[in-house]
Amino acid sequence: MKKILFTLLITLLHQIAVAQVEEKKFSFTLNAVPLEKVIETIEQESGYTFYFDEDWIRNYPEPVTMQLTDVTLETALNTIFQNTALNYYVSDKKIILTKNSVIYDKLPENYFNTDKTKTQDNNTIVIQGVPLFQKELTEQDKKKDAKVNYIGKENKTSKGKTFQLSGYVKEAKTGKPVAEVIIRTKNNEATAITDTQGFYTITLPEGLNIIETDNFLYGKEIRKVVLYNNGKMDLSVSENINQLKEVIVKGKKSETLKSANTGVTSIDVEGMKNIPMVLGERDIFKVATTIPGIKTAGEGSAGFNVRGGKTDQNLVLLDNGVIYNPAHFFGFFSAINPFTIGSADIYKGSIPAEFGGRLASVFDIKTKNGNVTKLSGEGGIGPVTSNLTVSTPIVKEKSSLLVGVRATYSDWILKTLDEKSLQNSEAAFYDGVLKYSHKLNAKNDIEATAYYSHDKFSVSSDSLYKYNNRLFSLKWGHIFNAKHKAALLFSNSQYKFNIEYDKESDITKSFDFGYKINENHLQFKFGYALNDQHKISYGVTTKLYMIEPGYLNPTGQETVLTPVNIDKEKALESGIYLSDAYKVSEKLLISAGIRYSFYAALGSATQRVYDQGAPITDATVVETKEYGNNEIIKTYNGFEPRLSARFFITSRLSVKASYDKTYQYIHLLSSNTTQSPTDTWKLSDLNIAPQDADQFSLGLYKNFTEDDFEVSLEGYIKKTNNLLDYRVGADLLLNENIETELLKGKGKAYGVEFLLKKNSGKLNGWLGYTYSRTFIKLDSEFESDKVNNGEYFPANYDKPHDLSAVLNYKFTKRYSISTNFIYQTGRPITYPVGKYTYANAEYTLYSDRNKFRIPDYYRLDIGVNIEGNHKIKKLAHSFWNISVYNVLGRNNPYSVFFVTKNGEIKAYKTSIFSVPVPTISYNFKF
Amino acid sequence: MKTALILKFITALLLFTSIVSCTEPYQIQTETFEEAYVIEATITNELKKQQIKISKTYRLEENGPTFESGADVYVEDDLGNQYEFAEQNNVYESTIEFQALPERQYQLFINTADGREYSSAKETLTTVTEIENLSTTVVSKDNQTGVEIGVNSYDPTGTSKYYRYEYEETSKVTAPKWNRFKTILLAYPRICEGTEFPGFETIGFELRTGESKVCFTTKNSIEILLTSTVSLNEDRVTNFPVRFIANTDYTIAERYSILVKQYVQTLEAYTFYKTMKDMSGSESLLSPKQPGFINGNIKSVSNPKEKVIGFFEVASVSSKRIFFNFHDIFPDTLLPSYPWDCTEQVFNSMDFGTNPHPTPEYPCGTGGPGLTLRSAIRRNTLLFYREAFPTFYMVKPACGDCTTFASNIVPPFWQ
Repeated sequence: MKKILFTLLITLLHQIAVAQVEEKKFSFTLNAVPLEKVIETIEQESGYTFYFDEDWIRNYPEPVTMQLTDVTLETALNTIFQNTALNYYVSDKKIILTKNSVIYDKLPENYFNTDKTKTQDNNTIVIQGVPLFQKELTEQDKKKDAKVNYIGKENKTSKGKTFQLSGYVKEAKTGKPVAEVIIRTKNNEATAITDTQGFYTITLPEGLNIIETDNFLYGKEIRKVVLYNNGKMDLSVSENINQLKEVIVKGKKSETLKSANTGVTSIDVEGMKNIPMVLGERDIFKVATTIPGIKTAGEGSAGFNVRGGKTDQNLVLLDNGVIYNPAHFFGFFSAINPFTIGSADIYKGSIPAEFGGRLASVFDIKTKNGNVTKLSGEGGIGPVTSNLTVSTPIVKEKSSLLVGVRATYSDWILKTLDEKSLQNSEAAFYDGVLKYSHKLNAKNDIEATAYYSHDKFSVSSDSLYKYNNRLFSLKWGHIFNAKHKAALLFSNSQYKFNIEYDKESDITKSFDFGYKINENHLQFKFGYALNDQHKISYGVTTKLYMIEPGYLNPTGQETVLTPVNIDKEKALESGIYLSDAYKVSEKLLISAGIRYSFYAALGSATQRVYDQGAPITDATVVETKEYGNNEIIKTYNGFEPRLSARFFITSRLSVKASYDKTYQYIHLLSSNTTQSPTDTWKLSDLNIAPQDADQFSLGLYKNFTEDDFEVSLEGYIKKTNNLLDYRVGADLLLNENIETELLKGKGKAYGVEFLLKKNSGKLNGWLGYTYSRTFIKLDSEFESDKVNNGEYFPANYDKPHDLSAVLNYKFTKRYSISTNFIYQTGRPITYPVGKYTYANAEYTLYSDRNKFRIPDYYRLDIGVNIEGNHKIKKLAHSFWNISVYNVLGRNNPYSVFFVTKNGEIKAYKTSIFSVPVPTISYNFKF
Repeated sequence: MKTALILKFITALLLFTSIVSCTEPYQIQTETFEEAYVIEATITNELKKQQIKISKTYRLEENGPTFESGADVYVEDDLGNQYEFAEQNNVYESTIEFQALPERQYQLFINTADGREYSSAKETLTTVTEIENLSTTVVSKDNQTGVEIGVNSYDPTGTSKYYRYEYEETSKVTAPKWNRFKTILLAYPRICEGTEFPGFETIGFELRTGESKVCFTTKNSIEILLTSTVSLNEDRVTNFPVRFIANTDYTIAERYSILVKQYVQTLEAYTFYKTMKDMSGSESLLSPKQPGFINGNIKSVSNPKEKVIGFFEVASVSSKRIFFNFHDIFPDTLLPSYPWDCTEQVFNSMDFGTNPHPTPEYPCGTGGPGLTLRSAIRRNTLLFYREAFPTFYMVKPACGDCTTFASNIVPPFWQ
């Protein structure tokens, strides 16, 4: 139809004939007559024939009621089409209707005037309207799939005017209004921004305007608007999935202000690329640690401590499946390929009732959906790893496949080195993500994700460590109706590690040691938007854990080792939850959720019963119980209320408060300060109770829209029960009765987190500062179970001061510089403070636990980012990152450790990257 | 472990980016030194002068503790009997002989010279259980054949449960290159004397006094040896290995004797020793140990937070001694070799090096093997074994005189 119209217009434009309307008079009495009938009536009365697209007429279902007496055809037509967007052109007994456009039979006066703009006032620059030729539109339409909107109707006398265009910007999927979206013309000459209701008003010149939306989180929407009058246009934007050009570092700022949740952060996956990283690796977890409240033990340590939580208290989800060890190579790299990530939300507090099973945080990471229209991809080449992510449609517009792979070439480098000691070393990892998404129909869609990561390394020539994560997840989303939707989630996760110890000099001591945890998770979740005030979500979830806590198989001949095989563990963890986001008023939003979790440790198993009045040791066993397969050993349960509320003090200032209760039934046993791949997960059982935590938080959030500043201040207090700690001298691996090495403790943590964010502009970034303390108390009626006299002492990861600043400065569209500065108090350590002689032997006296601290940590990184040229037609969009890690060359201690050699204890300090580390990496996108 | 790998990884991967990661000695802050009293106190049911050791912790760079003297030490039972202890050779020894009796409660009190007061928890004597016998078994350990000395004990009442062992082993040693004479340097006559040079001493011989060929070495166990019978059906210790000696170890080459003492412990005492043992154990490949302070049952009266290391134990003791010869255990095995290299060093006692231009001031050489030999004799760094004048065959002191490392007094129990 467009094409026909186009041809028609061209033909008409070349006719220089002047419209001649005969002065014949007509009378019409129209009483609730549909427009279509009106046209038929005129045709009959006048003998003219109308040419039009029937669709235009159908847009006006309103019947026409009017009385016209003795009017010319022109008057009649003007009156009839007055309230429509239709124009007409009369020629030779033909009436050609056009939508919006006027058919010109002569060129406008200023058509060849090159000076198209003029300044109206100091604040607004508008483009002078020029006649719009349909060709202009249609040709452009072929190039880009932008929609053309017609607002109002062209008036032959309305040249050079400006009009107000207003409307709401909504999120395409949810229909929620989106605030802080910039609406602007292509050349930036007029801009507007949506308010909290998603409403905008922009002043535009008459005629064709190309406007685009700009918000970091959402994809750019480009619309051609042909404006002939003040009008309304609603826009819907969808989440930023595959945009042409990224916008740098913008958070869900007004979300922060508006939502009822405290302690929620969304990692900006795209903006991440600008942050200088060691070895050129983008890393979602490294970025996370620059956010107040999230800390790591240091370089080269896996795991993070969120608001005084232990490293095992974080639920790391990739497409709803748990990843047990999301780190490669002791945490130097994250095990999740950043190019495959679509979104990453971190809940430090106000954990939604939907999530459970961990005390401190949820890292909800979702992979991108593949591109359903065309083949596209992204990749990066760095000094250590390279990665490639490709996505392709399977069924156009319906389903797609995304494949992301990443691998190191370190093994190859190690092998080619001359250095003998390194030739036998191995250090390699790889990971891959496969995501299939399929929109079955308007109501059903499925997503399937498979993930695998593998690491291997050798510490010495005789040992080889391997570990891997495996994950499979499936999601079926179903919409019952506009209000009610559901999702069925299934996931299976597995983590295992294994150590092959092969001592050449003494083959009798060779062994193979392994550990494995496997979980199957099934969840039904429902969302019910009851009305504007209540949004309810509810669901049930269940998880089956299976752990093989360790085996040791001697591999040498004539071995002197005895095979060990610790009994498998099994448990079922289930939960049911209900939550409601209740909008009490425009100002007050309450989110109330309740989760009830239920846990059952299952047989087959052998469990010891210990003397209640004595410490749990091998020496205090009263009874040993045997349990059959699937027999319930012990059950635990917990009510987990999750409450939060937001109140707008002013439209740009909100206050929030929340209370969370969480239970955790699985524990990571780690006597290291930092998480290590050989730490093992242990299920709660007869002797090990679940951990639980209560967190109260209070926050103030303020936005300064004009300058795009966002400030937040949050405080929290957290109390934890049944934290596991270890007896002095504990040995955790291959211990059949691990409870004899464990102590139960209480945790206490509090902190204040300050975050200042500038979301856009040439200079953007954020500054975070946290003051926080974390203490543990290990008290008991038995002297042997007391640590530090049963008083609170700083936890291994207690780092009171933590300052992070990430700043980007954009020189031009292509060049930008990023800096990253981190300061942290050194972490606590237990020192040897002397020696003593007892029973003829010498022993080392240690200080109270964690009495001392290693030196403070600080580091400055600088990176330069160069975007490839911005030509539209080119093979790939490229991005270079040149960065220097630790510019100051600060010799940050990674660890301080003690070695007893020849009866003498010596302290050593290890630092990693104690000199500036330059890196260059190349990323591309097609 | 991790550190080493990271080092390797970094060095390997990033040679071209000149990355250096380093492990360097780290100065332990000396101000971290904590002084604390270390009290070793085990009172037994043996009628004897009981001993208590009090020392202090010492700095990491120091060697050995200092004995804490001047303290007022006594043990009191629940009947009010006080047993005073007095300083004696760096230990506190009870002024009278006494033994711990069953069903009495004992408490240790210490008032140090600087006025600090300490007291222990009240302890009662543990079940008296005798060692039934000691076994010797030939076993292979770490690819090495040897003899394992095991303890057998049985408590029919089933109340002993926790056992700690100490041993004292004595072996007979014979210096392999012993000579009843020893060399001495005679001031006169001098050899090669010149007007400017005093000349060399004449080497003479003298009969050795005292026993220096056959000696006895005695060593105490330094390892904490613990076992528990809790997980067993009956309170029986079966062949608990207290000592393993390889068949190449000279300790058992000649006659050997071991005295094993068995202390029956309370759970608390057992836990204390076990923790100390676990913590000092070798670093595991898989995971490091959690360091920390080990709580005992002795506290400061005025400051309960003060660290006091030690456990006041009232334990029943029982001991057993066995003797054996090497060929009793290993009939067809060669005797282990002497632990020192006893190669003879040969010196020409009259070779002082060459002097190409002898003068009255220096008639002959002024060094050579002759000088080396004489200085070794003077400083006792080599002992005389045999001679064929002017050649002397010398050996290391340990090869010719066992008193250099052992005692020549025959132990009273020796048989």
